[in-house]
Amino acid sequence: MSNGTAKLFLKDVWNDNPVFRQVLGICSALAVTNLLSNTLFMCAGVTAVTALSSLTVSLLRNVTPKRIRMIVQVLIIASYVMMVDIVIRAMAPDIHRFIGPYVGLIITNCIIMGRAEGFASQNRPLPSLVDGFASGIGYSMILITIALVREPMGFGTILGVPLPAREQWWHQWTIMVMPPGAFFTLALVTWFARNRLEKTMKAGGK
Amino acid sequence: MKKTSPVYILIFITVLSIVFGFGISFVNYATEGLLKKNEALHRNRVIATAFMLPVAGRTAGDYEAAVRGSIESFSLTVDGKTIQAFRNKTTGETGFVFAGPGFWDQIRGIIVLAPDLSRIKNIAILEQKETPGLGARIEEPGFLNSFQGIEPAWDSSGGEFVIIGPSPDPSARNRIDAITGATQTSLAFMKAINADLAAFKKAYVPGKGARHE
Repeated sequence: MSNGTAKLFLKDVWNDNPVFRQVLGICSALAVTNLLSNTLFMCAGVTAVTALSSLTVSLLRNVTPKRIRMIVQVLIIASYVMMVDIVIRAMAPDIHRFIGPYVGLIITNCIIMGRAEGFASQNRPLPSLVDGFASGIGYSMILITIALVREPMGFGTILGVPLPAREQWWHQWTIMVMPPGAFFTLALVTWFARNRLEKTMKAGGK
Repeated sequence: MKKTSPVYILIFITVLSIVFGFGISFVNYATEGLLKKNEALHRNRVIATAFMLPVAGRTAGDYEAAVRGSIESFSLTVDGKTIQAFRNKTTGETGFVFAGPGFWDQIRGIIVLAPDLSRIKNIAILEQKETPGLGARIEEPGFLNSFQGIEPAWDSSGGEFVIIGPSPDPSARNRIDAITGATQTSLAFMKAINADLAAFKKAYVPGKGARHE
């Protein structure tokens, strides 16, 4: 990986993280993070769609008429989402039965459109692919962190596996798997991540 | 041709739509066999779970063999509505597919009753799209197992054969607890079960099969 590509990757994953810095993709960060297994499939879906959409938008950037570029981007994103939806339905039908409605909503995930319009439509294919992929990884990192807080606290499980002797030391907080639990956790994770980022930037003299 | 010309735009968007339409069709075609296999596996697994059939293993073939060996299926028609029903050839337990609108989308499942329809033996979910972690918990064994052994109040004037949630008589033999945080899904589930229990009771004669009027 070249120095420029590594910098771009790190920027999208951490410094310009789509969730805690750009405040994008919040809907799904709240909706699918009460179970880690659902979160992992959602993250894989979003990462694949973001990377492929950015790559495709970049490949077509010189032949796409400016006036209809948004329509073209939506068409590309929606097509990839449908493909991802079919693949998840075929490969993991049990997971799909739970997150199916949210997979369709990836189309409206602001991160994907944001990267397509903000980066891929003006840059070459390889950096665009890296940018899309890194944004998906940055999104996944935050969602997985939230899920790792909500599922154990709400259900007393991780990936559906009960924590050892959970009845003796933990009373499950139902609120953590309900929408308010998502808001609390997202706010705490955002606060922690931004705090860390500021310290890193100050230490780096930026 | 200029990129701004309407003809170019029309050709561009048409070609793009065809390419991506072909891509989606290809992915769908490539996974068609897997999707059908998954569907059959899911259906047989739900039937086997609902009737609590002994299954030799966990493969699609094991579930199919268990269902084929023990279950016969038949249809009932009542008021123009067709109910898909099943009977355990050994125990005489009878089940049917119930369906109704959930909080987000349709909920479908199989409810199995004792041969004389006096008790619910089990319930299993075929399809639901309720909120993960909340309404989707209707699929959890903790909730579904609570139906085992409850006695539908067939004489209920309001059609509340089964009550999910609060009731004037908390110890009623036809009542179970609702899911915390999923009141609407619990209500929808109760309505779907009760509506189709009414239809089933109207169409089915215990020990004989379809009621002919």
